Amino acid sequence: MKFELFIAARYLRAKRRQAVIGVITAISVAGVAAGVASLVIALAITNGMRRDLQERLLGSTAHVLLMRQAGDGMRGDWRALLARLGSLPHVTAAAPGLYEQVLVSRGARSGGALIKGIIPADEKRVSDILQSVKDGSAEELEPVQTLPCSGVLDTGRDCSDGSQVVAIPPIVIGKDLADSLGAAVGDTVLVTSPQGDLTPLGLVPRYQRCHIVGIFATGFYQYDSSYAFMRLEDAQKLFSEPDLVSVMSFKVDDLYKADVIGREIEKAAGAGFQATNWMEQNRELFRALKLEQIVTFIVLALIVCVAALNILIALTMMVMEKTKDIAVMMSFGVTQAQVRRVFLLQGLMISVIGTAIGLVVGYAASWAGGHYRFIQLDPSVYSIDYLPFAPRLLDALIVSAVSLGVSALATLYPSGSAANVLPAEALRYE
Amino acid sequence: MNSAAIHAEGLRKAYAGRGLGHGELELFAGLSFTVAQGEMVAIVGQSGAGKSSLLHLLAALDKPTAGEVWVGGIRLGGLSNRQAAEFRNRDVGYVWQFHYLMPEFTAVENVAMPLLSRGLPRGEALAKAQQWLGEVGLGDRSLHRSGELSGGEQQRVSLARALVTEPKVLLADEPTGDLDGKTAEAVFGLIRSLHQAHGLTSVLVTHNAEFAGRCDRVMTLRDRMLV
Repeated sequence: MKFELFIAARYLRAKRRQAVIGVITAISVAGVAAGVASLVIALAITNGMRRDLQERLLGSTAHVLLMRQAGDGMRGDWRALLARLGSLPHVTAAAPGLYEQVLVSRGARSGGALIKGIIPADEKRVSDILQSVKDGSAEELEPVQTLPCSGVLDTGRDCSDGSQVVAIPPIVIGKDLADSLGAAVGDTVLVTSPQGDLTPLGLVPRYQRCHIVGIFATGFYQYDSSYAFMRLEDAQKLFSEPDLVSVMSFKVDDLYKADVIGREIEKAAGAGFQATNWMEQNRELFRALKLEQIVTFIVLALIVCVAALNILIALTMMVMEKTKDIAVMMSFGVTQAQVRRVFLLQGLMISVIGTAIGLVVGYAASWAGGHYRFIQLDPSVYSIDYLPFAPRLLDALIVSAVSLGVSALATLYPSGSAANVLPAEALRYE
Repeated sequence: MNSAAIHAEGLRKAYAGRGLGHGELELFAGLSFTVAQGEMVAIVGQSGAGKSSLLHLLAALDKPTAGEVWVGGIRLGGLSNRQAAEFRNRDVGYVWQFHYLMPEFTAVENVAMPLLSRGLPRGEALAKAQQWLGEVGLGDRSLHRSGELSGGEQQRVSLARALVTEPKVLLADEPTGDLDGKTAEAVFGLIRSLHQAHGLTSVLVTHNAEFAGRCDRVMTLRDRMLV
């Protein structure tokens, strides 16, 4: 192989009798480099977007959710079950929750919302959504306060007789929901549950006035437009279910094993329970992102294919130029396999040089893009103010393998032609 | 097979589709001859008589349409492509009318090529090549590329490349055909002295009657037969 490498390297470096071969060789190297760099940058961007989306998504949702298959919720001794499941291996935190659909209204404006009743201290350990409160504070969701009355309330009720009054329950709502209601921190909204009481006049919905103490913005329209948080006991009271939780949320130590750990939690919970995880809940979203990444890869890999075509042309022309050299080499004992390897190596060297340049340029650009954040985005549209770059080693390996593989394919025809030169024929008419 | 260095038996070479009316073109038929060890034989004949084709057969660069060739006891017809390459690398040295030096390489690298191709370490191959450049009188031109050498020097480098593997047989196809009279004389003289110094068996194709006359024997290829 040393001999073949010696010849191939010298052929590549030497000035060509036909200058066009040198030009095409340079274009081949540049083409491979451009293709590889484009692939690295594009994959870094799609990875960055995916990572950013995943981080924000995981900040807004628990890794594993457990609920009753029948959808009837958990009553009674759910605290013991929560404590037991929370101590399972790989489970780092657990929190109860009560979900119900409600109508939130403020004056003439109203909107549907999904209320989640939570224990704030527990919820903060499984989800970061309360940390994304931009206006106000989620601190006020802390346990029910019983306030001493000190005169006349703003509702007009006189409590100067010393009686105590329970404060209006606090609520934290999403930014888009707040915008649609025209509500801000400090405003009061009416939360109406369709799970009403049956009276002789029919079903009367239950309702509760709530005080907006915080507005969160996760960047996900799904959450920001329809989610609201109350204290668990307030939610239970509103839904007339004093000791009910509908879901248990878990945080696990390896989020990519959420499905396996989820099955363990489900098994430990016993019959009638079912677990789901963040991957299942967002499967379509991640599938779409993966598909986008694959399509991007295929489209940009075409640049490498065009560059490989240049390698084929450059090598074919070089074989034509070197036919007599090949014949003479064969006359002093160079084998067909050696001749084939000379041109295979030449093609691979073009590809290796191009791929190396492409990787360096691609990773440098990705690093600079991630470090200096020079591509700005409109945060109101993309929920992020810069284009994220996340280059991965695995991508470099895949891109390199594709580049070298496609280039190797391009060398097959010219190297085969070179090996099939008949020395007696090639030199007969000189 | 006897102790002859080269033995040909019933050699026939024909090319399909190259004759008049695109029929078969027969260069020669029924050629049988022997070249003894240490002999220097000249093959002469008109252009197109098949002299170069005959030399190709002796070097296993081509296969005869019929007949057999033995070189140094090796039956060339029984060689695979790989064995034929090894035979050319170890048993024969071939010089062409044109030097065919590779312009990207220096003189010493060109001479070392046959040794490098068989896997000899680079240092060893270059040392031996340098020694052979000295033998052909170009020891001080080893780092020159072919474009920096005269026609005669190029052909001498080519001769060193053919002999660097120390073959027993030298085949030369009009080695002086591309050179002027004085240079041709010098190159022929060099071939003759190397032939004697290294105990070679040499077969030279030439148009030069004087050089042919200075060989041990002259074989003329005429009317598809050797006379």
